[in-house]
Amino acid sequence: MNARGKAILFCLVALICGSLAFAETFGVKKRAKKPHEYGNVVINNFSEGQNIAPVVFQHWVHRAQFTCRLCHVDLGFAMTAGGTGIREEEIRSGLYCGACHNGKEAFAGEPKARGETEKNCDRCHSYGKTVKFDKQFAEVTRGFPPARFGNRVDWLQAEEQGLIKLSDQIPGVTIERRALKNPEDSLLKAKETGMPDIIFSHTKHAVWNGCELCHPDIFGVRKGATVYSMQDIFDGKYCGACHGKVAFANTDCQLCHTKEVF
Amino acid sequence: MKPTWRLFLFIGVMAAATTSSGVAMYWNLPPLPPPSRYGNILINRTSEKNGKPAVTFSHWSHRMRDTCRVCHFELGFEMQVNATEITEEKNQKGEFCGACHDGKQAFGHTEAHCAQCHNGEIAHGEEQFDKLDNFPKTYFGNEIDWVTALKEGLIKPRQSMLDPQYSPMAFDKNLSLEARWMYVPPAIFSHEVHKQWLDCANCHPDIFNVKKKTTEHFEMRYILESKFCGVCHLKVAFPLNDCKRCHPAMKD
Repeated sequence: MNARGKAILFCLVALICGSLAFAETFGVKKRAKKPHEYGNVVINNFSEGQNIAPVVFQHWVHRAQFTCRLCHVDLGFAMTAGGTGIREEEIRSGLYCGACHNGKEAFAGEPKARGETEKNCDRCHSYGKTVKFDKQFAEVTRGFPPARFGNRVDWLQAEEQGLIKLSDQIPGVTIERRALKNPEDSLLKAKETGMPDIIFSHTKHAVWNGCELCHPDIFGVRKGATVYSMQDIFDGKYCGACHGKVAFANTDCQLCHTKEVF
Repeated sequence: MKPTWRLFLFIGVMAAATTSSGVAMYWNLPPLPPPSRYGNILINRTSEKNGKPAVTFSHWSHRMRDTCRVCHFELGFEMQVNATEITEEKNQKGEFCGACHDGKQAFGHTEAHCAQCHNGEIAHGEEQFDKLDNFPKTYFGNEIDWVTALKEGLIKPRQSMLDPQYSPMAFDKNLSLEARWMYVPPAIFSHEVHKQWLDCANCHPDIFNVKKKTTEHFEMRYILESKFCGVCHLKVAFPLNDCKRCHPAMKD
């Protein structure tokens, strides 16, 4: 086959493969994540390049103990999977995961904690492996107030009821600051006529996020300065930076659109 | 373009459509089963592999008791047959079918009841369908106007399993969706009717974007491929044969 023939064949194959892959991506319902999968993030910046299984980070196990702010502000974790570009040596020197996973606060790569005899690599580098974890989702979340989507756990209520206690600092690593007084709830007008408006609670968000996780990068602080649509949120921007990935799903409409329509 | 030219073009397109097999698929509606079997499915992901007959599931008998959202959200059933990882063990633990089929709300997962689901017979239980004779009628599918049946209180399906106080969101907007083909009147979409059965999230944002006119490929030919409206309106909800139910201004 000459070069031109090859090029045509390549184009045809690419077109067929492309249309097949494309055919599945619109107009159908995506598979819902299982409750224990919701919020799981696969981190693979360098792992497979080093012939190591990628890391599966489980948000649910961490959010049951820590505020979002602690990792995403104080420890500097980005808000997208792979956005941080974490290196093994950084973890070993106490940055990122290593701020806790140092053998004292939490297990480290090397066996350091009491009773440990083997390396703990698999507990994080678990992608594609069958790993027996200490904490099982069903056991940890048993008896927690239910939610309709995501982890199927109402984490806000779980915190309010004292079922989980959140740490907002790591002694010796992060600094404790006096909390700011929360601004009042905001009423956000829905653009669509007949759609209930949104009551945004600063108080509920500040428990987990402080101020700095959202302001000023995601949302400006001047009222009405940030213009966004629900479709943007579904696309993972604005509220969708958390809601739909880790925080309660952005498809549970009535959790935000709560103002009565008259 | 002058109206006469439009007409010629339309006739030309229609003539091409009848001769070209590629375009003929526009009207390739799947054959309809008898009304008592419309919406019935055989679930056979693992049953026969494990030596048990496939499971018959009839949507009509379930939609009388529960809204779509109860199973297709709260219980995690996928919208495709055999896509949900239902296992006997999970059912016994109260997941999926076992959430209701626990011996209290509905017959339980005991040996005496195996054959009520595991019978491999798509028509199983259709004699019960005759009891619905007094239900309001339509022309296609189950030939039952489920929307009117709900409105008249003939059925009272549960809105939510998790939240007994649940009521659908206060959003009743009607949409007029312009058809791409000339002389096809717009489809009228009622949020009010859909929300009685479905959660917003059944359709948004996976199937339909929420921003006006931003859902790409939203065309009849893809609907006929079980996409968009066809996710439900080919299999369970009234079938697409009922043109006028969506395009009410369409002439006979």
